[in-house]
Amino acid sequence: MIRSLPLGAIALALAALLPAQDGVTVYRNARILPGGAPAIDNGVLVVGGGKILAIGGADTKAPNGAAVVDCAGKTITPGLIDASFRAGNTPDMNENGDEVTPHLRVLDSLEPADPSFVRARSAGVTAVHVMPGARSVIGGLGVVLKTHAKDPQAMVVKHDASLRIVMGAEPSMGNRAIRGGSVDSIYYRRPTTRMGVVWAARKAFYDAKEALEKSADAPPATPSPGVEVLTRVLRGQVTAVTTARSEQDLRTALRLAAEFGYRTVLDDAQDAHMLVDELKAAQTTVMLGAPSATAIAGSAGADGADPRSVTARLLADAGVPFVITTGSNAASLDLVREAMFAARNGISSARALDAVTIEPARLLGIDQRTGSLQKGKDADFVVWSTDPLDPAAAAESVFVDGIAVQVLR
Amino acid sequence: MNAMSLSAPLLRSILRCAVAAAIAASPVFAQDLLAVKAGRILTVSGPVVEDGVVLIQNGRITKIGKQAEVEIPWAAKVIDATGKTVMPTWVVAHSQGGMRNFNENMQNVPWLTVGDAVDPASPYFEDCLRNGVGAIHVMPGNQTLLAGQGMVVRPFGRTVEDMTIAANTGIKMSLAAGGSGRLQQIRKLRRAIADVREYLADFDRRKAEFDKEKAAGAIPADKKWTEEVDRTKKGAVDLVQKKAKGWLYVPSFAELDEALRLAQDLDLQVVLGNNIDEGVGLVKKLGKPVVLDDAIEYFETDEETQKEKRFCSAKLLADAGVPFALTLGQGGPTAYPWWQLGTCVRHGIARDKAIEALTMVPAQLIGMGDQLGSLSEGKLGNLQILTGDPLQATSWVETVVLEGQVVYERSKDPRLQYLFEAEKAKASKAAGPEKKETEKKDGAEPAKAEPAKAEGGKQDAPKSGNGNGRGVR
Repeated sequence: MIRSLPLGAIALALAALLPAQDGVTVYRNARILPGGAPAIDNGVLVVGGGKILAIGGADTKAPNGAAVVDCAGKTITPGLIDASFRAGNTPDMNENGDEVTPHLRVLDSLEPADPSFVRARSAGVTAVHVMPGARSVIGGLGVVLKTHAKDPQAMVVKHDASLRIVMGAEPSMGNRAIRGGSVDSIYYRRPTTRMGVVWAARKAFYDAKEALEKSADAPPATPSPGVEVLTRVLRGQVTAVTTARSEQDLRTALRLAAEFGYRTVLDDAQDAHMLVDELKAAQTTVMLGAPSATAIAGSAGADGADPRSVTARLLADAGVPFVITTGSNAASLDLVREAMFAARNGISSARALDAVTIEPARLLGIDQRTGSLQKGKDADFVVWSTDPLDPAAAAESVFVDGIAVQVLR
Repeated sequence: MNAMSLSAPLLRSILRCAVAAAIAASPVFAQDLLAVKAGRILTVSGPVVEDGVVLIQNGRITKIGKQAEVEIPWAAKVIDATGKTVMPTWVVAHSQGGMRNFNENMQNVPWLTVGDAVDPASPYFEDCLRNGVGAIHVMPGNQTLLAGQGMVVRPFGRTVEDMTIAANTGIKMSLAAGGSGRLQQIRKLRRAIADVREYLADFDRRKAEFDKEKAAGAIPADKKWTEEVDRTKKGAVDLVQKKAKGWLYVPSFAELDEALRLAQDLDLQVVLGNNIDEGVGLVKKLGKPVVLDDAIEYFETDEETQKEKRFCSAKLLADAGVPFALTLGQGGPTAYPWWQLGTCVRHGIARDKAIEALTMVPAQLIGMGDQLGSLSEGKLGNLQILTGDPLQATSWVETVVLEGQVVYERSKDPRLQYLFEAEKAKASKAAGPEKKETEKKDGAEPAKAEPAKAEGGKQDAPKSGNGNGRGVR
């Protein structure tokens, strides 16, 4: 009823403030936090053609005739990147037909017009990594998307960005043999225990390894698409992301990776504080889900984990790379607020901001395009009303590839 | 004034209190003088004092001023908060925290009181201290019709009596439909109130008849009217007679019409849920300040375009000129005062106004505007010391003083030590079954089970009295 009116007003404002596509815009007088580099006070950011043309101090040169936006009092950061993003209809991302489906692509379940993308980009998130759901042992291939593009196809930044593996109780949750039924029944979804979960993963990788070894001599007779994906993981061409919460599951994830010789990122590693040395030795990157969650503030975590607020600080001190994400927790806040909670828990604000910008870009292998404000990168950036880690900060303007997707004032 | 001249009358008052404690609430204020030297004092009611000092005597603030101008009595205990921020503790005008079950299964239970359910050991009160909350108006939950009396408590004390600041603060009412639909709930509440009125009219009629018959000589002159108002109806009778305040929960704009109607013949304090953007005009018509639910930010989706719009109920009211009190949640981000205030400022509410909405305004709404809500001479000596600005996420509450007594110190908070100390996290690291075995043999308990004990020598809080294993109580 009343809602179409303000939306129309926003659209008008967008049209008015949208810089001409090929025109050059200069953002002056802002405090710029470029991501992975020292802050620039009174900085200048020059964008045009969807790319960053220049960035630097007040004396940075800008072409004549460029539109100038005064950003006095504002802070500019790179667009945020959520390395584990919950998009759309979760049940539609869990394939119940099989517990090991490495070849499924989550992209096929994604709706580009999903409101979650709108919510994310209006909170300053310009790129997200979406993975299949956590109900399968090996759920399938993740994808990296921009949160906005002129046409949905162009949202994709990177296909096959990850392979999701899940440890712990989640893949076996609710799987029980039908009373009196046969274990061979098609209605009987496995696995039903932690042992079964790990076995399913091990079996899959064993088959892939065998296929890889055989293919050295002769091509495999019947190449299975799942095995093909897993061989790519074993060759290091696709990043494995293992969701593991408790210490037990984290150790299992590392053991499995060592057994088959692949490297894995650890997702939602709530007990990471218990094995910092091992994480460092394994050269793994840790995804920390939602530092704001009540679980981190006190009660027991998921899967029997015992999360602590000190985790991010311990990882930072030990030099273990980590990123902050929202996807593992249904009650998570906007990504920037999660970074704020991480800063509250004791890491520097620069480190907290890196953990939602340049670090996830590196992790996902998209740091050549986005994740920091550097000449030549995509014009993905946010103009904040004040320091982004201030609870009062609002994402006043958000740009994806130079296109304004949000303009508040 | 010196300490000696204080002691005799105070001793008497302590004895009196000890006797009184058996019957009524006992004040927990400290008998000595406390001086808090602060880098910055946010008084809320007056100007900011840089390099100031607050003097508290007998649980009340006696002096606030510049350190250079105020003489600190030699007998005073001094807390040095130089470089830190001192401000009043927060006041929560409506909460259902600290009770295990906050609603009876029956909906019409005006005879109940939260005093019988408030659990002094509830972690909620610990969290209140951690967040700098000094007074909480605890009320029955929102899934009710007429739900009994609330009370104002301090989040400190071993018994409900210790915690009590004010009892019988009003009757909780709610228009939140518990599964039966909005109109049904409105009908039920009207029926419940009409029933009380009918009962009261019948009671008065019988009493009038008694008096009439007595006057006519049909009843002996020495016989007295002995019937009292039914105890299960007393709370509701007080409500319709406007002797008790009704605290009405209004979940959304759709129930505001009914709230306005009820406000015409009851003394009502409205507690607003969110989703009120269509009803701000009606809230304004109430002509009174309102209390807001802790979820002040909400989304609405356009049914046709599926586009979401973000609203802030506090901002809507601020724009309409309706004074409001903020409240805090029992978990999640809205439990943090800085989060609530930050949300307000993010939506364009002035910083001072946001701070008042969690101090002065709620203090007035619970009828304690002269006791709580600001640092001013004569008010209760409730203050918090923060490491930084109260609106920053990185600020932590260092110390809480309630009525002149230090009731919380962050450095002695075992819960935070458990969550934050690296050594502790490492100590509980299970490096295989062998190590666990030896730990057990040594008699050291794993940190998981008993964080306070695992801290060992570092924990210098007394193990009994007010600082037991749980640190604050």
